[in-house]
Amino acid sequence: MGAVLVHIDLDGDRPHAASLAALAAGRLLASSWGATLYAALVVHDTTTRAAPESTAQVVSAGNLPALERTQELLARAGADKIVVALTDVAPSPLWATVGGAWQGVLDHLRPRVVLFGADSPSSAELAPRTGARLGARLLLRARAVGVEDVELRDRDGGYVRSSDSGAAVAVIGGPQPAAGCDEDVDLVMLVMPGSSDDRVELIGTQPAELIHLTGAIVALGEDAAADAAIAKNARKLATALGAPLVSPPTIARSTPLSPDVLIAIGNVTADVAGATSLIRIAPNAGKQVDGALTGPIGSSLIELLDALGGGS
Amino acid sequence: MTVAVWLGTAPPVRTIRWLDGALHAAMKFAKLDDPLLAVAAGDPTWLDLAADRAGRAGVPAAGISINLQLDYLGWAQVMAAVARQINARIVIVDEASRPERFPEVAALAELLEAAQLTHVVSLAPDGDAVHASRVHGTVLQAVRITGPAVIGVRIPGAPIEEYPTPTPSASMRRLDLNSLGLDPVVLGHRALPPRVGGEPRRTLERVAEHLAVHVVPRRGGAY
Repeated sequence: MGAVLVHIDLDGDRPHAASLAALAAGRLLASSWGATLYAALVVHDTTTRAAPESTAQVVSAGNLPALERTQELLARAGADKIVVALTDVAPSPLWATVGGAWQGVLDHLRPRVVLFGADSPSSAELAPRTGARLGARLLLRARAVGVEDVELRDRDGGYVRSSDSGAAVAVIGGPQPAAGCDEDVDLVMLVMPGSSDDRVELIGTQPAELIHLTGAIVALGEDAAADAAIAKNARKLATALGAPLVSPPTIARSTPLSPDVLIAIGNVTADVAGATSLIRIAPNAGKQVDGALTGPIGSSLIELLDALGGGS
Repeated sequence: MTVAVWLGTAPPVRTIRWLDGALHAAMKFAKLDDPLLAVAAGDPTWLDLAADRAGRAGVPAAGISINLQLDYLGWAQVMAAVARQINARIVIVDEASRPERFPEVAALAELLEAAQLTHVVSLAPDGDAVHASRVHGTVLQAVRITGPAVIGVRIPGAPIEEYPTPTPSASMRRLDLNSLGLDPVVLGHRALPPRVGGEPRRTLERVAEHLAVHVVPRRGGAY
C-alpha cells in the first residue's frame, strides 16, 4: 500500500489547524489501509543549499530545532514520518513559489493519496496542481468516513477507497476526530534547489473586500437582523464557519457575493448567485438553493448550531 | 499575445454574471490588438449561450460539441489542445460560474507548462506583463505575471436578471476532438461517474452534513 501524504501549512511556529484536520483524516485512512502516513512541509532555509543540478538531496535525519514544536504536534496528530523540504525561496501560498519544493516531496515519496486542509493557506493553489501532476482524482471538501474500512467522501458523492487504483488528492473540510498518537516519529529533510517560478511575482497585499471573499459567508436579512436572538445565533454560526456575518446596509441587492458557501438567514437581498453553494434558513426556500431549513428561523438556527457542535 | 477564455462545459449554475465578467476581463487584452478566442465545450444549447454572451462582449467564440462527462484533467486536455492550436499565451478561466471549473486552472497550467494563478478578482494587461489581484483568505495579493499563464478569474459582470434566449450562432467557430488531435477513447479514461444530483437538502441532518465540511478546525481543539 502506498504512502498517504499530508501537506502541512504553518501558522506561525505550529501547524495550521486545517492541516492538522487533514492529518487526522490521513491517520484514519493510513491505519485502515495499512499505509505509512507522511506529513510534509516546505520551510524557508538559507543555510543549506542543494547542488543546482539536483532535484532534491536528503541531508539528515533527526530534528530541526526551529521546528521542534511542529514536529511534536505532527507526531501527536498521528504522523509516522515527517518530511521537511528546505528551500531558499521564501514560501508564500502560491504554486509559483512553493510548487518546485513541493514537487520534490512528491517525487521523493510518490504517494498514493495526498491530503490538504481545505482552509489552509496553500490548498487552493497546491491541491489541484498536485492532482494534475499525479494524474490523480480530485475530491474537494471531503471527509474520512467509516470505522474499519475508512474511505474519503465528498459532498457530491465522489469517493476514494482502498480498493481503487490510481492516485487521489483530497481537500479535507471540517474538523476530524483526533487520533491521539505517541510522539515517536522519523524526520527526513530534503534540500531543494532554488526553484520558484519567476513568471509570477508577488508585489504586495491589502485587505480584501467582502465581494472578494471565497470561504464562507453568513448573511442576515433585515427581518432576521431585527431579532436579537437570531442575530446572536447567526454570529455563533459565523464563528463556527470562520465566516464574516453581513447584513444591510453592508450588502445591497446588487452586491455580488461569491463564497464557497453562503448561508442566507431570512430575507437576504444580496446577489447570492455567485455562491458555489447556497443554504437558506427562511420560511421560503426560494430557487436554486442547495439546502434549506424552512421552519421558524430562530429554532432552525439553534438546531443547526447544535448539529454542528457550535451551540454552546 | 493570443488570449483564450475557457468558459467551460455547462451553463453557469445560477447566473451568467461571472461568465460576462470573464469575457469583459478578456476584452481588456483586445484593446492591445491581441487576438482573442472564447472557448466552450459541451452540448449545443450551452455552446449557443456561450457564443451569444461572447458575441455581446465582442469576443470571437469557438465551440466543441462533445457529449462526454469528464473530470478536471479531461476537460483541461480539451482546452489545452485548443490553446496549443491557437498558440495562446494567456488562458483566462471563468472559475466562478461552476465549482468544477476551479481545479481546471491548475490542470491547464500543468498541461501547458504555464504559470498558474487562481482566485483572481481583477486583471490588467501592461505590455508583456499582466497585473492581477488575487484573493487569499481576507487579503488581496497584488501579483505581476510575465510569460505564459493560466489565470482563474472570479470577476462579476453587470447585474442581470434575465437575458435573451440565445439562437444558434452562425459566427461561432466549430471545433471537434479530431481536429484538436484528441482521441475520444483516450479522453474517456478521464470520464467522471455521475455525481449526486440536484435535489436540495431539506432536513436538518442533511443541511448540517453539507455544512460540516465548512466548519473551521480550531487551534488546540478537535482536529
